[in-house]
Amino acid sequence: MNILVVEDEPKAGNYLLNGLQELGYSVSLARDGADGLHLALEFDFDVIVLDVMMPKMDGWEVLRRLRKEAHTPVLFLTARDDIADRVKGLELGADDYLIKPFSFAELVARLRTLTRRGPIHEEEQLQVADLQIDVLKRRVTRAGSRITLTNKEFALLQLFATHEGQVLSRSLIASRVWDMNFDSDTNVVDVAVRRLRAKIDDPFPLKLIHSVRGIGYRFDTQP
Amino acid sequence: MKIAGTYSLTLRLALVFAVLAFASLAGLGAALYNQLEEQLTRRDDIQLVSRIDQLRTILNDSNTLELIQNKPALFQNMLGNREALLTIGAPGQPPLFVVNPSNLTLPTVPAVPINHVMALNDVQHLPSINGVPFSAVAANIDSGDQGNLQVLIGKVMSERTAMLASYRLSVYGLASLAAIVLALVGCLLVYRGLLPLRRIARHAHGIGIANLGERLDRHGTPRELQPMIEAFNAMLDRLDRGVAQLSQVSTDMAHELRTPINNLLGETQVALQQHRSVDAYQQLLASNVEELERLARMLDNMLFLARTDPTSALNQRQELDACDEMQRIADYFEGLAADVGVTIEASGSGVIWAEPMLLRRALANLCANAIKYGAADSTLQVEAIAKADGSYLRVRNHGATIPPEHLSRLFERFYRVDPSRERSAQSNGLGLSIVATIMQLHQGRYSVTSVDGVTCFELFFPARQTQDGRV
Repeated sequence: MNILVVEDEPKAGNYLLNGLQELGYSVSLARDGADGLHLALEFDFDVIVLDVMMPKMDGWEVLRRLRKEAHTPVLFLTARDDIADRVKGLELGADDYLIKPFSFAELVARLRTLTRRGPIHEEEQLQVADLQIDVLKRRVTRAGSRITLTNKEFALLQLFATHEGQVLSRSLIASRVWDMNFDSDTNVVDVAVRRLRAKIDDPFPLKLIHSVRGIGYRFDTQP
Repeated sequence: MKIAGTYSLTLRLALVFAVLAFASLAGLGAALYNQLEEQLTRRDDIQLVSRIDQLRTILNDSNTLELIQNKPALFQNMLGNREALLTIGAPGQPPLFVVNPSNLTLPTVPAVPINHVMALNDVQHLPSINGVPFSAVAANIDSGDQGNLQVLIGKVMSERTAMLASYRLSVYGLASLAAIVLALVGCLLVYRGLLPLRRIARHAHGIGIANLGERLDRHGTPRELQPMIEAFNAMLDRLDRGVAQLSQVSTDMAHELRTPINNLLGETQVALQQHRSVDAYQQLLASNVEELERLARMLDNMLFLARTDPTSALNQRQELDACDEMQRIADYFEGLAADVGVTIEASGSGVIWAEPMLLRRALANLCANAIKYGAADSTLQVEAIAKADGSYLRVRNHGATIPPEHLSRLFERFYRVDPSRERSAQSNGLGLSIVATIMQLHQGRYSVTSVDGVTCFELFFPARQTQDGRV
């Protein structure tokens, strides 16, 4: 995946560049709006991460000019939790937005969603190592033995299994599994993951759910 | 500065005073004038009639007639002045005798028959002879040997007209003068009457954030201004409380921020003192992330609480199935509750007219509290009851009774029943104030009761209003 990051704040620009490169993406960083627009028009990117608050040419202007010529997906970053601001961005043709401060894992998940091409089709059968999930019959077996899960435990497992190898943040899990789109002060996600682990991981030698310190969880056959 | 739609009270009242004074005085003057005119006419008429009666008596004697003819000056004197007119003569012939000092055109007046007694209504009022009103009376007289004579006697009303004109002039003059005087007095009265208002305005001008405790002085103000002063002072009370609360919130927030920032700073500085293992660094960073997430959440909550404009929330309301929403909350807290042995019973009926994320956030905050403070191995009830006016949501848990003095303050920002529980990892003291804000955004209500070990929070979401305003 080819990503353009337009961000004037040096520290933010650097960590986005490093973080995304470490995940194996090819990343270009523009330190101001004019550079960003130039790069966006000159090269072919899969997705653009655009900071709104920039001196001289701000993100809105970049987006406005970019949309005249290209339809590269754009995710904008804003520090203002303002509905009018968000609406403006989406009206100008942005595809998604994140409000600062945001979690890096959340950004990566959003970028993946934006660059996924074609309609998402739900797999009927999922298999990770010796874990089998029958989505239609809502039946889970591991190493041949049947595991009974509650509805939400099943939804959580399905989310993990469809994002194998990716780090999922707590807020992403809360929003996908329970439709709770806000950061809760409770550790509901940790508790739910612990209970799921007790059923699908604890009795077996190969652990599938891994905690990623400070970020969230990763579902993977590799430790 | 002139503001559109404003007017001057002083000018208005002065004008009203002036118009009223002029109208009443001019009306009175006009009435008196009419009376006077009537009286004067009557007096003149009586004079004319009595004079013609006299002439009737005198002219009966033929000597007298000769006397008149020989000494006309005598009669002229008798008539008195230049306003009088007298002709004597036989009908159809030139008059025998004429006294006409003003050289008036002689009017034709029907003569009263001989044996008819003279009355006031025999006097003819002619509107104008040479531009002056004129009264005249004529009579037939039996003058003995001279036979039947006709006498015409009249009077030009020049003196009376002049007098009435001057009377009219004084009426208008006096009425205008009174109008001007009253207008001026009105201005003065209004100005003086509004003096307390000016004083209040000056005082109000001087009240700012620094002296918000000051109140407008009611002393020496008219009774009519009392309600305004009371309302103004009540507004100052509310503002004062609001500002005090805001500054308290800022102070509390700064204190709340102090702890996580202190942790971040301290831990990081200690870690940098010497080289450490990769694992130690990772641990430090993970701990930093925790603190930072806490800061981000607090920031998010504070910004949410600062939202005061309800329109966006109201515009995004949807009809949500109460049963689904209650079940969703029960599912969300299922694990957390099971950890402490709490069972969640969820039930709901009808629809809730609310913004989905805000409703879930409010319910989640209530349930999180209920689980945190609820007794172990008890039941947590979450129910929604649909009524005609809206949905009543109740979150009821078993646990220690909250003393009544705390109940009313539970929804305040950073308020904690037990100060020693301050800053537990999961609580920032904002949860219930967020619930309060969400209910205000929905124009709903919220309340809490705590009796005999059962604490119950109740939220009320008003039902959707239909087009014609009915529930």
